[in-house]
Order: sequence, then structure tokens, then C-alpha cells
Amino acid sequence: MMLDSIRNIFSIPELRKRVIFTLLLLAVYRVGGQIPTPGISSTALAEFWQSQKGTIFGFMDMFSGRYMSKMTIFALGIMPYISSSIILQLLTVVWPYLERLSKEGELGRKKITQYTRYGTLGICIIQGWAIALLLQGLTSPGGARIVPSPGLPFQLLTVLTLTTGTIFVMWLGEQISERGIGNGISLLIFAGIVARFPAGLGGIVQGLKNGSWNPIKIIVLVTMMVLVIGFIVYVERGQRRIPVSYAKRVVGRRVYGGQSTHLPLRVNTGGVIPIIFAASIITIPATIAQMIKIPALQGMARQFNLGMPLYNLTYVAAIIFFTYFYVSIIFNPTDVADNLRKYGGFIPGIRPGKNTSDAIDEILSRITLVGAVYLALLAILPEFLMTGFKVQYLPLIGGWLDRVLPSWFTQGLQVDFYFGGTSILIVVGVAMDTLQQLEAQLVMRHYDGFMRKGRIRGRRG
Amino acid sequence: MSQSDVVPRRPKRTKNALDKIVANPVETDLFLYLRAVARIKFLDLRQETDSALQVRAARLRDVAASRPDGLLTADFPPGESAVEAFALVREASRRALKLDPFDVQMIAGLAMARGRIAELPTGEGKTLAAVFAAFAHALSGRGVHVLTFNDYLARRDADWMGPVFRRLGLSVGCVQEGQAPAVKRAAYESDVTYATAKEAGFDFLRDRLAENPAGLVHRPFHFALIDEADSILVDEARIPLVISGAEDRVTWDAARLAAVVRRLVPGRDYETDDEHRNVFLTDAGQTAAESGLGMAGLYAPENQTLLEALYCALHAESLLRRDIDYIVRDGRIAIIDEFTGRVVEKRLWPDGLQAAVEAKEGLQRRTEGRILGSITLQHFFRLYPRLAGMTATARSAAAELREFYDLNTVIVPPHVPSRRADLPDAVFSHRDAKRRALIEEVAAVHAARRPVLVGTASVKESEELAAGLRAVGIPCAVLNARADEKEAAVIAEAGRPGAVTISTNMAGRGTDIRLGGADERERAEAVSLGGLYVIGTNRHESPRIDRQLRGRAGRQGDPGQTRFFISLEDDLFERYGLTKMFRARHRIVPSGDPIGTDPIRREIEHAQRVIEGQNFDIRRQLAGYATLIELQRRIVQERRDALLHGEPAEGMPPASSGEPVAGGEPWPLGRLRESEPALYERGTARFGRAVLARIERRAALYHLDRTWSDHLAWVQDTRDSIHLVKLGGKTPIDEFRRQATEEFLGLRERVAGAVADETAAFIRSGGTEEAFAERLKGPSSTWTYLVNDDQVSWGMGMAGFRNIGFASIAAGPLSPLFLLTILVGRFFRRKSKTATPPAAGTPEGQ
Repeated sequence: MMLDSIRNIFSIPELRKRVIFTLLLLAVYRVGGQIPTPGISSTALAEFWQSQKGTIFGFMDMFSGRYMSKMTIFALGIMPYISSSIILQLLTVVWPYLERLSKEGELGRKKITQYTRYGTLGICIIQGWAIALLLQGLTSPGGARIVPSPGLPFQLLTVLTLTTGTIFVMWLGEQISERGIGNGISLLIFAGIVARFPAGLGGIVQGLKNGSWNPIKIIVLVTMMVLVIGFIVYVERGQRRIPVSYAKRVVGRRVYGGQSTHLPLRVNTGGVIPIIFAASIITIPATIAQMIKIPALQGMARQFNLGMPLYNLTYVAAIIFFTYFYVSIIFNPTDVADNLRKYGGFIPGIRPGKNTSDAIDEILSRITLVGAVYLALLAILPEFLMTGFKVQYLPLIGGWLDRVLPSWFTQGLQVDFYFGGTSILIVVGVAMDTLQQLEAQLVMRHYDGFMRKGRIRGRRG
Repeated sequence: MSQSDVVPRRPKRTKNALDKIVANPVETDLFLYLRAVARIKFLDLRQETDSALQVRAARLRDVAASRPDGLLTADFPPGESAVEAFALVREASRRALKLDPFDVQMIAGLAMARGRIAELPTGEGKTLAAVFAAFAHALSGRGVHVLTFNDYLARRDADWMGPVFRRLGLSVGCVQEGQAPAVKRAAYESDVTYATAKEAGFDFLRDRLAENPAGLVHRPFHFALIDEADSILVDEARIPLVISGAEDRVTWDAARLAAVVRRLVPGRDYETDDEHRNVFLTDAGQTAAESGLGMAGLYAPENQTLLEALYCALHAESLLRRDIDYIVRDGRIAIIDEFTGRVVEKRLWPDGLQAAVEAKEGLQRRTEGRILGSITLQHFFRLYPRLAGMTATARSAAAELREFYDLNTVIVPPHVPSRRADLPDAVFSHRDAKRRALIEEVAAVHAARRPVLVGTASVKESEELAAGLRAVGIPCAVLNARADEKEAAVIAEAGRPGAVTISTNMAGRGTDIRLGGADERERAEAVSLGGLYVIGTNRHESPRIDRQLRGRAGRQGDPGQTRFFISLEDDLFERYGLTKMFRARHRIVPSGDPIGTDPIRREIEHAQRVIEGQNFDIRRQLAGYATLIELQRRIVQERRDALLHGEPAEGMPPASSGEPVAGGEPWPLGRLRESEPALYERGTARFGRAVLARIERRAALYHLDRTWSDHLAWVQDTRDSIHLVKLGGKTPIDEFRRQATEEFLGLRERVAGAVADETAAFIRSGGTEEAFAERLKGPSSTWTYLVNDDQVSWGMGMAGFRNIGFASIAAGPLSPLFLLTILVGRFFRRKSKTATPPAAGTPEGQ
């Protein structure tokens, strides 16, 4: 079936072109990501990053496709662009000029895109400079300077390199969106994450050789991966369908089964955002502790280090909170109910207006709980697999718990899981979106062979 | 006038965002055109006799007919034959019309002949320019359609230009609304046919329902030349032409519903959303309606049809305004066309709305219909292998013309530079002040005997203004849908000194007002008074339409003056919620004096630009939906044509597409022979193979039409609600494609099944062929709908979550800032919501 789909994709010239284009550009992104920026000692850098796992820098590194830890020309990755578009999106809400622009149709949107690009440039310069300064001040744990010859020339060179790199990546992303398949920006992040897979595989092979891995562990790992991905796909597709009728009907139709009109409420409306919010908030203590070196504070912060029980508990709580928070931001039952009412739609048996929005709100609250628990599980599971819940570090009751609880709980499976829950969610999400787009293109294949004369005339088929 | 005024100047390049992406859709370099014109003029035919001209024309026809594409003008610069064709038209025009074509008319003719949109200022003689292009393409004998803006112009142009074509041996036909099929067929058989674009489209749809080849009126399409191209190809393009047939259906007591609805209070019981022309009940209204109907549970599933009827009644009551959207004439509702301002014959509102309006006006109910066929104007035009067009206002629509039709625009300079003065708008804070100022202005101008044309927005407004003017002793002529038979007479007098003409948009496009009257007897006086003074009482959604109204003044270098009188309470501003915004922003207090300052004028222009941008977006989105359905329609049509002409079908899908075609008979035939061979054999034995084949074909035509009609209804339904899938993280257009394709595949199956059943029933019952054909007769009468797709909802306010989501996934480090800004943003938004109503919604970008 899979092979069939691929053959279908390649049998449509337009689609084939788009897919190949996308793959080529992603390859460019990967290859370009191997080129280091000048003036940096790579060995010292690698040692430094080793010591930064679990801080906010580690997080940033993930989104730049690990280009940051290698300090390549794409070190800033696509992030400045994303930050810029977020800032513009938010400004649209508070700044009337942008709000009007956003409503001017094509022309206005183009202008906003242009501002986003300028914003990207600005952010790149600031971030690039900050990184240059940061690198100058850093030494590896072994004491080697990361930048052997610091100074203004190094700073300028770094800013120039990083800015150019990001602008180029941005261009790649836009090109993919326009001439390829899927959302280019998402795909670039996707590629960054997936690209770590071979390295992980290499690690396993290495581990098999030196005995730290055994076949059983691999079977466990593969099974877990399949289960987790299956679970994600299952939940991501999950929706509650609320039937909707329209009072505006056309004369003379038969009754249609199956694809009736409905409001599809998703189990996981917020996507990956709640995890990101929670994760970034929770890395703050560790990051601060890294910066200010007061022993007492550091001891407290250690409790919030990756994998610590307090960390995990707070993490779960934060995810559940942010899931509700974020859903409440993007999904307003009152707006949806008003919108339905305006166009003559209603939920059969429920009066439009307050009754309808209450009904939607109730259903949404319930399924969001499922969604929140799902996100929390997803975020915690990989940690658990790797290290278990390190209860022994808990104050007061830690030792006792450690003795009482079974070892698979306290120690984990000791399986080195290469992806965090966030990464898997992003990868699966992007893959599902892209597949959906592909599918929409494939639909047109059904019409092949129907027509004697060519396709419909016109540029927009 | 200096020499440099006459020599065509290079027009300024238009600035457009799309320029950056695609090549400029506007051609401004006329060098090659000027050279071609010189060649045409060099070929002087003045000495030749009429018959010599005819001989030349006949020879050209032979040349054209012998070419596979039949086009003389595909090459540019034009070849010898094309130059000769143009020279012939030039000479024939001199002889038949006593008109010597200007160079600019020939340039426009050349541009159109090679498939461009020619922008020619008003009054420069587009009608004659069209003759050049029409003649060149008609030589091949494959038929040229000159599609005019309204019936009156079709008739006038055919009568006026007919002699030119006939002098050169070509026939000319004119199609009018409501003509018998035989008359229309004869007109379409002519070498050149003048018709309105819509009528040609409706005839095309009617042809699709023909039961035998003799019922067709159209020939295969060849070349269409569209007058007022920007209006028809852009503004009206999203309007689907719909043809429907009678079908009686039990409906709720429309009169009673109308009474219930009449008692509801606007604002309290229901709210209207003028921009989208939607109306909905409020909580109070729901209760009031239920008590009015003496029932509860209006929204229970079993009351669905009642609710539909109630909404129709509400729509009729609140959104369709007498004397604006329709007039009542001879006990009937006559719908006024939004664009031409004219009454349209044989047109009804869809979805039971007609019955609701009839009930509202206390008229007798007519039948409801089911939609039998539909095509958007845009796709109709794409059926022509070659298109060209002309208008006075193409420039700002050039990007769209290029995007949707692949048509470039050529800007032709005026023959004589315009001496028209466009005064800045007079802006008033409220309607009364505007009205008073308008009457004063007309009185002042009229006192000097200068001719005045006032363009209003509706029948109602025109009549009220006329009454107001008569009250102060100013006699005026009114041109609107109610008085449409007087159109020619009113226009003929409008340019005379002392004339005051109040018009609706009937006097917009295509109306030629001559100074000093149609005979130009008092021309000198009218010119000395400063020419025609055109006053617009409203700005339109598109500045192009404003420019059209202005274009009535200052034709062919005449003097003239134009001015718009607008108030912040005008429909345009109310509709987009701008009235309150302007008032708040510029702290406007109601006063009788003009408030027209430059910032306000700029603001108004900005608003027009925003509206145009939004309309462009809507058209683009609609095009996405319509294109798929058009593909399906063409598949069905191709099959239907083959059945109609009894051709064997070729190129039909092979068995791999799930189609049982083993018997060799293509879809939708042959199913019965597959499934019940015994029965089929019995039928063959009894009726003969030929009769059975005819029966099967007849059944196929019938069920193909019927199922297609059902499919269209499904499409309409689905499209209205498809935006909801956004909540589920899907793209509406993609989801629509998927569902529509699934439906379409099912449709093919259903037709084949129905044909088999029908044929089997015939064999079993053993009736006569005649009775069978009688039973499967199509609708006895058809009429047209003009559905405005504005009513399509686009799910505003429902953001595409996924998309935002993924844009911000890397917001990690930024997220505290992000959260903060969201909160601040929400706070501000709530504040601004209470301060001003939200401006017009935008369609959600994909």
C-alpha cells in the first residue's frame, strides 16, 4: 500500500516535481548545516555542550537541529524567523496599523510577510552578536577557550555568518512552502529532528559492540517507539464530532449519509505548544542556577534538573495547566457559537447562543482533560524510559520511597531513548500534516483518464 | 492644444504587488501597434467599389477557413491578410457609418484581435473598435460572440455595426433575453453574434439539458469579445449562473411565516450582517418566533424544514428591500440586477426565498425549482478557446485578469485628451446634510442650464431624489428599472442644456451621453456651459465603478466635470462598519457643512482598497472550489454530449477504475446487460436491439441530469459548512476536494445503477417507447438564478490552530514573552472591542 502511494506520487508529474524539490532543499539544509562558523575550536565547544544538557540552551539547540552545539553557519536555524512571525502576529493584535494591514487581503499580507523578514534580520543580528559574545566568554570544562582569538573581527564575522545562514534557511523554508509540499518551516524543524536518527542508530551499533546494549533492550526500544508513535497518531486523529445543521438549504437533494456536517473538536487542540510552554518555564531554574553560582540556590535548583522527581511533578502540572490555558486562548466557544449562528447553523436540539456555547464548552473541557493527560504522559515517558523516577533524591521521604517502589519505577528501563516527547510529537505532527497535503494532491488523480481533451484551461488548475 | 497632447504618451506603469512576481500584466509599449496601424492606413481602399471590397473579403474568408486555427491574427505584428482585413473594416465603416476610425480604435482592435484586454477611455468608440477584432476572427466562419453589458447595448450595437459586417458579406445576429430557441439558434449561426454575456451563458446551460441535438442553440465556441471586461470578468465572475426547473414541493405556509417575521423587531429579535448579507435570530428573537408560531423547540431536528422556511422569511423581510433589490410590477416580483440596474426576466431567488418574498409582498406564489445546471461566469468564459475584451477601466484589474484568464491588458491612449475635471469628494457627516447639499448643487448648476446627470445607488434613492428636486421646482428625468422602456429617450435628452437626469447604475457602463442631445443640435451651448456635470451620490465598492460613472462626462475631449457627494452614513460605510470608526477617529460631530478634509478622503480611498483586496481574496478562494466542480461538470458534459449525439465514447476510463465496461458499453450504459443478462436478452428479443439502446440512452440522459443536479445541491451544502473542518486541523479546500471527489465517484455509480433499473423496469412493464420518453421528460420551463456567492461563509474567527501552532513551536525560549504578549493582547483587544466595533472580517487566508 505504501509502495502504491509512492508510485502514485511519482506518477503525477506536478507532484513528483514538488516532492523532489522539497527533498532537494532539505538536503541543502542538512549539508549546509555541517559547515562550521570560522574562528571556533570545535573540540572545546563539544565539551561545553556536553555539560549543558537540560538547560534552556539545550532546548534551543534542539530546535536548531543541533546545529547550535556544532556552531555551524545555520546555528541560529529558523528560530529568528519564527520569533519574528510570532512577534508580528502578536503586534497585529495590539497595533491597529498592522491589524488593518492584515485585513487588506493579499497586498496587506505580503507587506506583513515583508516586515516579518526584516524582523528576522534584526533578531538575527542581535542573537548573533549575543552568541558571539557568549562564545568569547566560554571555556570548556577542561579550561580550553572556545574562541581562540576573540575580538571585534570575530564578533562581526560571526554575526555576518549566522545572519546570512538564517536568512538562507528562511528562504529555503519559503521556497518549500511555495513550490514544494507541506509547510517549509515545519519541515525544516522536522528535518533537524529526524536527522539525529542515524546518529542514534550509530550509538546503538556502538553500544552493541561494547556491550552496553543488548538485543533485548533493542526490542524493548523498538516496541516502545512503535507503540508511542501509534499512540500519538491515534490521539492526534481523535476528535469529538458535534453534529451541525444549517437552516439554509438548497431545494431538491437526496439524503446524504456519512459525511454529515459537524464541528470536529480535537482531543489535542493545542498541539505541542503546552509542552513547550511548560518545558521552557521549567528550564528557568536550571538556567538561572547555571548563571549565578550561589551554592544554596544551586542545591535547590538541582531538584529541578532534568529527571528529578520534583521536576517531573512540576512538569506534569505545568503541562496540564498550559493545555487548558492554551486551548482557552485559541478556542473560544462563544466565538464558535456566534459564528455558527450568524450563518444559520445550529446543533440539533440545542438553541443557538448561550446554550450552544455552553454545550461546546462542556465537551471541550472534557476532551481537553484527555488531551492534557496525553501530553503529560508523552512528555514524561521518555524520561521514565531512560532513568525512571529518581525518587531517592526527594527530600525526607526519598530514601524510603526508593526502597519501597519497584526498581523499574525508580531506575527506569535504562534504555537510551533518543527522542524527547516533544520531538516525537513534532515529527509525527508535521508528517501527518504533510501527508494530508499529499493526499489532497493525490485526489486529483481520480480524474485522470476521464477527459478526452486535456485539463481545464487556465493557470490555476 | 499642442502637438504633444495629441501624440500618444507612454502611460505610467501601474504599481501592483503582483508585478514583483509575475511579469507586468499591463502592456504599455504601443510601438508595434502604431506600425501596424500605419500599414493598415497605407492600404487605401477608397477607390474600390463595394463589390471589389466584397471580393477581397471573400478571398480572406477562404484563407481563414483553410487555416487549421482559422485565425488570421495569431501572429503579431499582423500578417498581410490581417492588415487587409483591418483596412476593409476601416473602409466599410467609412461607407456604412460615415465614421472614419481613429488610430486608437485600430490599436484597440489589433490588441483585441490578438487576445488582449484593451483599455480605451470612455467615449472613444469601443463599439467600432470591437468590429475590427470581431471581423478578423469571424472570417473563418466559426462564429464570434461580442458579449455586451446589457440587452439594450446588444441590440443597439448589432443594429449600429451590422451594416459594416454586411457590407463585407458577413452576417450579424443579436440575441435577446426571452427569445424563442429557434430565433436564438439563427442568431448564433451568424458570423458575428451580439448578446449579453449572461444570456450566452444561460443558453449554454440550457443546451446542456437538451434532449436531442436539434434542441441546441450554440455552436462550438470560437472567439468571444467581452465589453466592459473588468466588470464581467472580475466583479461578476464569482456569480454562478444557475438554471433551474420547476418542481413542486410542500412548503410551510409562507404567508403565516411572513406575518410572524414581520412582528419581529430588528436589532432586538434579529441582527443583520450587511456585509455578508446574512441575518440571524437573537435569543429574544428565537423566543419571539416560537411564541409567534405557537410552538417550542424550533431547533429540534424534526423542525428543520420549518426553520429553513423561517430563515427564508426572515431573509426576505430584512435583507431584500423593495425598490432596491426588486420592484413589484404587474403583480410579480421583478429582480433588479445588481450590476446593470435593470430588471431581469425569468430570474428567481433560490431556496424558497422567492416564495418568501412573494409572501412578504402578499403576491401569489409561483413554483419553486431545483437547480439543474450551474457554471460560474469565469468558467463559462474559459470555454472559449480565445478571449479578448475592452473596457475603460482595466488597469487596476489587470493583475486579476492575468491571474484568472491569462489575459494581458493593453492601455490605449485617448484620441483627444480628456478635458474632464474630477472635483474632490464632498463629504458629509450624515445623510440629510448630503441630500440638502445635493439638491442645492443641482439647483445651482441647473440655473445655469448646464446638463446634470446624478448617479444614485437604487431605484428608491433615484425616486426620492427626483421627488426632492421636483419639490423645489426642478424638472428632471428618471432612469431606473421601473422606467426602463424610456431608457433610449432619456439618454438621448440627457446632454441637452437644462436637462437634469437622475439615474441608477443603469447609466453607468456603456451609456453614451452626447452633449446637446443625441442629435447634437445644441452642442455648442452645452459645451459653452462646461459640458455634462456628473454627480455621484455614493462611492462604490470598487473605484473602477466610480471611474465608470465619471466617464459619462467629458467624452472624446468634451469638457465635463464630476463630483461625488458622500456621507459617512452611506451603505458602503455602514456595511463595513466604517461609519462609527470614522466618527470616532476624526471626532466628527453631525453638521450640515461638508467635512471633506484630505485625511478623511484618504481614509475613504483606503477603505475602498481594503474592500477590493478582500473581494480579490474571496474570488481567489471561490475559484479554488469552483475549478474542481468545473472539472466534474466537464466530465459529465462530455459524456452527455456523446450520448446526445449517439457517438461511441472514447477515452473513457478503463476497467481499473472500478468501472464494469467489459461489455464494451461505456458508462453509464451497459450495466443491465452485465447484471441481468437474461432480462436484457428478453428485452432485446421483444423490442429489438435498436429500441432498447435508445431507451437506455434516454434513461441515461435523464438520470445524468438528475444526479448532477443532486450533486450540485450537495456541493452547495458542503461548501457552506466546510470551513468547520478547520477546527479539526484540516484545510477546508483540501477536505472539500477529497469529499467532492468521493461524491463524484459515487455519482457515477448511482447513474449507472439508475439507468439499469430504469431499463429493467421498461422491459418488465413493456410500455411504449413514446410513453417512456414522455415520462422522462425534462422540466417544461426553466429559469435562471443569479446566486451571489457572498453568502458563503468563510468561518471567520476560527483560526487554523495547527498553523499558528507550528509557527510557534520553537517559541520555547521566547514563550514567557509570548505568554505575556498574549495576555496583554487579549486585554487590549477586549478594550478595543468595547470602543469600536470590529472592522470588516477578512476571509481566513489559507
